[in-house]
Amino acid sequence: MLIGVVPFFAAFIYALGYSFGVMGVLNNGFTTRFWESVFASGEFLKSFGYSAAIALVSLVLSIGGALWVTLKFRRELDKKFLSFMMYLPLAIPGVVAGFFMIQLFSKAGFFARIAFQLGLIEKTAQFPDLVNDSLAFGIIVAFITMLIPFFTLLFLNVYKNERIEELSILAHALGANANQVTRRVFLPIILKKTGVLIALYFIFLLGAYEVPLILGQESPQMLSVLIIRETRQFDLSKISEGYVVAVMYTLVVSITVILLFLPKRKKAIYES
Amino acid sequence: MKVSWKPYILTLIVLLIGFPFIFMVLLSFSSSWRFPDILPGYFGLKNWVTILGSETGLLQSFIISVVISLSVGMVSTFSGFLISRAVFYHKRRRILTLFAYFPYVLAPVVFGACLSFFFLKIGLFGNVTGVIVAQFLVAFPYALIFFGSFWNKKIKSYEDLVATLGGTPRQTFFKVLLPLAKSMLLICFFQTFLISWFEYGLTSIIGVGKVQTLTIKVFLFIKEANYYYGALSCCLLIFPPVVLLYFNKRYVFKNLV
Repeated sequence: MLIGVVPFFAAFIYALGYSFGVMGVLNNGFTTRFWESVFASGEFLKSFGYSAAIALVSLVLSIGGALWVTLKFRRELDKKFLSFMMYLPLAIPGVVAGFFMIQLFSKAGFFARIAFQLGLIEKTAQFPDLVNDSLAFGIIVAFITMLIPFFTLLFLNVYKNERIEELSILAHALGANANQVTRRVFLPIILKKTGVLIALYFIFLLGAYEVPLILGQESPQMLSVLIIRETRQFDLSKISEGYVVAVMYTLVVSITVILLFLPKRKKAIYES
Repeated sequence: MKVSWKPYILTLIVLLIGFPFIFMVLLSFSSSWRFPDILPGYFGLKNWVTILGSETGLLQSFIISVVISLSVGMVSTFSGFLISRAVFYHKRRRILTLFAYFPYVLAPVVFGACLSFFFLKIGLFGNVTGVIVAQFLVAFPYALIFFGSFWNKKIKSYEDLVATLGGTPRQTFFKVLLPLAKSMLLICFFQTFLISWFEYGLTSIIGVGKVQTLTIKVFLFIKEANYYYGALSCCLLIFPPVVLLYFNKRYVFKNLV
């Protein structure tokens, strides 16, 4: 266990020390000025809100899409060819997804060429900003294309394991209509069974690096990009502020993990 | 007669899934593809032939990536398997498993940035060994969590039975536990291999640009706006996992939920 835990705590203590000026090249003693500076600038909160919003929108759209595909195409996706096709997007890493989005949505990309040929635009500048844009369109599309296949496969598996087909037939036999079966049987079981994994994916998206690095804008940036920009910059006096953000991000992630996975005590119902 | 729309939607889904793969392959064969041309000015093997030369070092990057991913996959899988057993039989196993989640969920690149000081101190900065160790620190917790579902009362009963029948711990491990865990070991190896194969952030921090894996190469080509070589690197990056997924797909999700 030491192999896993010690590096994590060592990294955290180092970042904490750096953020309070105890460690680091130009630091010479305990100070809270880096923390004050980060809170005063509001950059962490802005970046955190921006990252959380992107993660939430991507997750909601992906889960919605995957639920729809599962509900409508579960029988077809059992076939060998389609089943394999659903696995294919899992072979695409974030850096390739980011590269592909640039090829599709940039001002000289695939869709801009088609728009030109259709006479919709006359020069590249007329094509809308779809990558490195303020609404994070490129980032969200990249996340969705990576997540929908994953969640579809996950939901299909839960559908089989939890015998939702049989439960749906039973609900129909008891007089429920298709809408009620979806809302009262299908959705609650699927979402309850995958809730922890969905929460984990929210954390993963919150800390995503490659996709926002390629498709994001200068400001605000997603958390990981901001942390790396601050801790790797040439201005050594600013590095501590990067570690402040790293410490806060680590705390948020750690608290979420504790809330998700902390062994829950069963209520002592027999206690007097 | 009511016409079903499902085949059309399914065809669209298949096309959307296949499109990135086809596009990358076509782009890797292309050159001189200027706006607003729909088709490239050159289409041929020129870019792929370059791989065999040393101009871009792509072949070298491919070999480095394979070596790193194989090492990370094998070491993480076997250590995860062995240590997860000790964790499962520990009286505080739920707390210990909770600890394993911390490095697993933290963004690897942030983990790497905070760890880089220690890697520098022990001479693991900017070399292949350092990258393997760094990626292991992310892949190992995954393996540990993954094998958590393997150890259960049934497995413990098998172990007890072998001990009752006079089997040694060594025999129990090689003749009972390993055969039982064979398919899970394989899945875990594939997964940790892929974690390493797709890793960019941690590798860029600990490798400091000296260890040029394929993901690092893709990013360099994006920065240089050399999209043809970028697409070629992407092909090298995505097709080995496609082959792995083909063999792996029967097992991966069965054990996920």
